[in-house]
Amino acid sequence: METAYFIETIIKIVVILLVFSALAGFGTYFERKILAFMQRRLGPMNVGPFGVLQIAADGIKLFTKEDIVPTNAVGPIFKIAPVITAATAFMAAAAIPFLPQFTIFGYTVHPIVADVNIGILYILGVMAVGFYGPLLGSLASSNKFALLSAARAAAVFISYEVITGLALLGPLMMVGSFSLIDFNNYQAGGMGDWIIWSQPVAFVLFWIAAFAETGRTPFHLVANDHEIIDGFGTEYSGMRWGLFFIGEYANMFFISFVIVLLFLGGFGDGSVFGALMFLLKMSFFFFFFLWTRAAWPDIRPDQLMWLCWKVLMPLAVLNVVVTGFVMMF
Amino acid sequence: MSEITITIDGKEVKTQEGELILNAARANDIFIPAICYLTRCSPTLACRICLVEADGKQVYACNAKSKDGMQITTSTETIEAEKRAIMEVYDVNHPLQCGVCDQSGECELQNYTLEIGVDSQSYAIKDVDRSIQNWGLLNYDPSLCIMCERCTTVCKDMIGDGALSTRARGSDAIDASFKESMPKDAYSMWNKLNKSLIQPNDGEKLDCTDCGECSAVCPVGAIVSADFQYTSNAWELTKVPATCSHCSAGCQIQYEVKHGSIDAPEDKIYRVQNEWNYVSLCGAGRYGYNFENKVDAKDEAAFAKAVEAFEKADTIRFDSQITNEEALILQKLKETKGYKLINEEARKFANFMKEYAAVSGNAIYKTPLKAVNDANFVISVGSAIKTDNPNARFAINNAMIMNKGAAMYFHPVADPVVDTMGKNIMSINHAPMLEEASMYLILDLFAKKDALPSEVAEYIASFHSTKTITVTETIKEKVVEIVKEMKVNEETGEEEEIEVEKSKMVPKKVEKEVEVDDNRLLEIVNAPKKFEESMEKLLKKKDTFAMIVGPDFYSHPNAKNLARLVALVEKYTDFSVTMIPEKGNSLGVAMICDLDELAGSYSVGYNVAADFVLSAAGKGDLDMPAMNQQEGTLTSIQLRVNPTNAALPYAGYELNDIANALGLEAALTVDYTEQLGAIDGFRAEKFDDLPNHFSNSGEEVRGYELEATTATTGDESVAPFDEAAAMSDAMVYLANPTLQFNDFTNMSHQLSEEVGLYVSSDYAKANELSEGDKVSVTSTKGSLELNVKIDSKIGGNIPFVPSFDSNLNSEALFNDYRFSSATIKKV
Amino acid sequence: MMSLEQFENRNVSENGYYKVDIESYPETGWEKAKQVFSRTIRGELFVGLWVVMREMLKFDIHTVQYPKEKLPVGPRYRAVHEMQRLWESGTERCIGCGLCEKICISDCIRMDTRIDENSRKEVSEYTINLGRCIFCGYCAEVCPELAIVHGGRYENTSEQRAHFTDYEDMLTPFDMAVKGQVPEYPGFGAVTPHEDERVKSTPLAY
Ligand code: SF4
Ligand code: SF4
Ligand code: SF4
Ligand code: SF4
Ligand code: SF4
Ligand code: FES
Repeated sequence: METAYFIETIIKIVVILLVFSALAGFGTYFERKILAFMQRRLGPMNVGPFGVLQIAADGIKLFTKEDIVPTNAVGPIFKIAPVITAATAFMAAAAIPFLPQFTIFGYTVHPIVADVNIGILYILGVMAVGFYGPLLGSLASSNKFALLSAARAAAVFISYEVITGLALLGPLMMVGSFSLIDFNNYQAGGMGDWIIWSQPVAFVLFWIAAFAETGRTPFHLVANDHEIIDGFGTEYSGMRWGLFFIGEYANMFFISFVIVLLFLGGFGDGSVFGALMFLLKMSFFFFFFLWTRAAWPDIRPDQLMWLCWKVLMPLAVLNVVVTGFVMMF
Repeated sequence: MSEITITIDGKEVKTQEGELILNAARANDIFIPAICYLTRCSPTLACRICLVEADGKQVYACNAKSKDGMQITTSTETIEAEKRAIMEVYDVNHPLQCGVCDQSGECELQNYTLEIGVDSQSYAIKDVDRSIQNWGLLNYDPSLCIMCERCTTVCKDMIGDGALSTRARGSDAIDASFKESMPKDAYSMWNKLNKSLIQPNDGEKLDCTDCGECSAVCPVGAIVSADFQYTSNAWELTKVPATCSHCSAGCQIQYEVKHGSIDAPEDKIYRVQNEWNYVSLCGAGRYGYNFENKVDAKDEAAFAKAVEAFEKADTIRFDSQITNEEALILQKLKETKGYKLINEEARKFANFMKEYAAVSGNAIYKTPLKAVNDANFVISVGSAIKTDNPNARFAINNAMIMNKGAAMYFHPVADPVVDTMGKNIMSINHAPMLEEASMYLILDLFAKKDALPSEVAEYIASFHSTKTITVTETIKEKVVEIVKEMKVNEETGEEEEIEVEKSKMVPKKVEKEVEVDDNRLLEIVNAPKKFEESMEKLLKKKDTFAMIVGPDFYSHPNAKNLARLVALVEKYTDFSVTMIPEKGNSLGVAMICDLDELAGSYSVGYNVAADFVLSAAGKGDLDMPAMNQQEGTLTSIQLRVNPTNAALPYAGYELNDIANALGLEAALTVDYTEQLGAIDGFRAEKFDDLPNHFSNSGEEVRGYELEATTATTGDESVAPFDEAAAMSDAMVYLANPTLQFNDFTNMSHQLSEEVGLYVSSDYAKANELSEGDKVSVTSTKGSLELNVKIDSKIGGNIPFVPSFDSNLNSEALFNDYRFSSATIKKV
Repeated sequence: MMSLEQFENRNVSENGYYKVDIESYPETGWEKAKQVFSRTIRGELFVGLWVVMREMLKFDIHTVQYPKEKLPVGPRYRAVHEMQRLWESGTERCIGCGLCEKICISDCIRMDTRIDENSRKEVSEYTINLGRCIFCGYCAEVCPELAIVHGGRYENTSEQRAHFTDYEDMLTPFDMAVKGQVPEYPGFGAVTPHEDERVKSTPLAY
């Protein structure tokens, strides 16, 4: 049992790494295509059929480009920072059940690496650590745009950490567990059981915070090209820059999974239909990230802070209090 | 001539009595259009566009002389109408090919058409076939020719070849209706133009001395250089003002430079142009331009060897194709390092002038060549004039035509070119070594006898004797005859026979014995028959006399005596004396360098053979810049120090670098220009301050004129000549064919030729030689093998051994003197 | 048309300028909150989302698939030069007058000419340095023969800054000219349609 479990875990880790690395790539492809379509363009067309192999081309490019460490950069930190981003993103994936459990050749597979009973806490924690990637990378780059990016990263991530936490308190109080499996099972009864209905405010708050956590438009200010070049990524080249990229896209996928698991019933009863619906719902949230990028402008850092502390945080606190009251009576 | 004042368009202008209105206007920056007139030549009145109104009458400005107080208007309604019509006529059937025409951009037809604003055409006539002709070095496109006759005029009035003439155009008559409707001058100009075109005298090929001056003066693109044609537009060429260095005339030229081609972008010289109104080039100057020494980089090893050779040497050999500055460098090297300077040709010239100075008191001859242009009686002695200094020939010809002058040409070799200059020039082909006799004859003919030193006068008188000759004279005699006539008797009314006495004049030949003066000198110099008679004709109305002395004299065994005779001629006759320096800068070298007679043991040569050779022709141990790659000054026959400029870049070492290595100090060769001032006659002027152009009035604004320097005089004694020394056997003459002067002319691609023994066609016939035959020429000094070249431009029976190719050591046949007895055998 | 005086008058109010209508900024917290809510509820964000979604669904794509597809260029477009031939005879139109070389503002035309066997001027070499050409069109304008014209070839990337194009590359192929496959050049430098009216005729005596 022990060895089997060990092997199974290793396999799961490898599969997740491979699948999500690849997905990160496809994510960029989808993003380009979808943004293009929304802007009446065609997007990549020339490498491979419909430009699919553009990802491969990019991959080759990223892998073969020269790895430059600027003269005044703090070498070791500069080099390790992208690894932090990518690694934490994948580490967070350990506590996410990607599919309902299923049986293959009489062997029951749990598509989750570690069903720890503090899964949510773990995911939030590890994702929070991920912010050291941009922060350290920026500070080590010795670049003024990167420095601005570092300041913004610190402010944004810490602020929205608060919103995520507070927003989740409501649902947590209702489910009474940190395990995402438990969350799923809590809502397994069908659409009506979805937490979104009982916790709409928490859902919206968490969703908004997810944009900040992943640094996507309209909260893209950490690496806002038109103001601060590529922010923390300004001095990076080749695969190191690629790691930031993979981290960002992996995060987008994982947070989409988490939202669905927390508020939209996850994979429900564990049937094949439930599993499909799970992927579909997840896909919607991923798509939504792209959609907003095509439609919305970025907002200013001060507006972001204002929104966080003066609007979202009071709402979140209010939500917790109201939930508490409702549960008490 | 006196100074007068005339008024042109309200502007008071000072000029000379009798000056042409056109020239007076030009000198004062007043524009009068003129196409056919050439300054220094006679007006042809072909174009008639120079119409002006003088004192209310229409006259041609190029032809009418100014009178004191004349009122001149350059523009009236009728004049403008004439000009417009004239330009329209010129544009009739003129091909619209400015796009390809060589003259485009500097075409007078283009300019005047635009200036006068011809924008429509009123006249027409059927065109005739006018196909392009190749004349050798030139191409003639009759369809572009506007019949201004400048080409024929310059060839006749300036050059003296008269090789071009007009031919019938074969055109229809002008439509009669135009006679009424057209302005009258325009009509008559058209009438003339419509009748003729230009052709070489024999119709096909040009037979002339190939000066190319006709192509220079042609206002349109009708006569152009065949080599240059269609290779570049005028406006792409950069003009570099320079001085031609091939001969001592020192003509002002412009090298026209542009990048070579797309494949070979280095600069190259495309052609040479001149201010044809004021200076005429010979073919060597015009076509001999690309003799540059292409050197890619400084050859340090060769330079080190050169410096070493200079350290070791005790002698420097050089010729006179160098600038004054280089001559000064050599002189300074002599002063600091004690080199012996060897340049025989310049040394002989210097010695000649020294001897002349001892009698005349002038350190160098004092009259520039331009005095010849102003003279009306010119004598040339000791010079194969057309090749020693082509401009001297032009000057004699010009003087004969423009001043109604006459000339005498003393030279052992008959020259057909001189003979074509007209019947006002008398050639006297005396035997070599009898130059002194010719000088005595000149003294005899022109000197004021009573002023002459008595020994000289006596010596001359010793040639005179009286002799009795029988002359047949035709006299008219009165003969009285008795004639019977029938007459009607008035009284009787009858006819009767009466006798009347009638006298009439009848010519009758009588023989008479007269005593005449017999001048044996005439016989000695082989003067033509009826010498006195012809002389009388030649000398009629002559008052300005000029004499040209040539290089035959300087190397003559009796050069000293000749120099003294020349001085006597200058002193006791009305002749001014101009000497032709033999090479490009012989005069400068003779004045600047203190030349030695005997060489030392180890020599460095500059452009001449020696133990170590510096060569601008690229033939030596170290390369030197050629004359078109150098800045510096040259001293010309006009007693002028003329600046010349580098037309092409030069990357190697020059003489100045060697001088610097040997202890002299100058950043540039032209830093020495100012130091020339230390030499008598020269001025201390900076090179960059020397101008090089002509002013609107034709004044030569070039460099500066040498200052006259005097010398102490001694006695005036001259030696008698030795009649027996006259050379009469077979001999050769050391002189070049036309267009060749030195290695540099021969390096130029249009002139390059194989050397040979140049003979006249008569000589060839008499000796059964034909073109290309190999002959051996043997003199007492040595022998050479040469191919025969028949040259239509030499006459007599003395072949020429050329000196222009230094590979042929032609001097080996000659002892100093330019004539040498020699046997010529076919091999 | 605006006159120069109008340009020089810097007084904004008189020049027909108007100010953009900007709402006054919210001062108090309440006003700000109101602004947030009003903006949110007005649903601008959703309008944005709808617009892009609509365009995606319509799938009305405007991309030109360069280099497979190319937009046509106007006849007066000034791209890489072409050297014309005469119709039917196929003779090169360029006579080698050198005016283009002279007028070229960036000095990028160079040509070699010579006399040919028929005593005519012939262009032996002709290059344009496209790396320096600014496509001003002066050369086409000045050419008296309508020999050099601007074509439509705008692709002239090169590995070198000095990128030369030769006469042969620009020259219309002989057979195309002879077969009359080259349309009459309507573009930059061509004669204007009313040219005939401006030319005075010259009398002829034939
Ligand atoms: S001669 Fe003058 S006007 Fe005639 S084609 Fe040549 S440039 Fe033009
Ligand atoms: S060839 Fe030239 S110079 Fe001679 S007549 Fe014709 S236009 Fe005049
Ligand atoms: S060689 Fe003499 S005459 Fe001829 S162009 Fe030169 S300087 Fe003048
Ligand atoms: S377009 Fe302008 S810059 Fe280009 S070659 Fe023609 S004239 Fe020169
Ligand atoms: S302007 Fe025209 S005819 Fe003249 S050289 Fe240029 S292309 Fe040829
Ligand atoms: S210049 Fe006087 S008639 Fe031609």
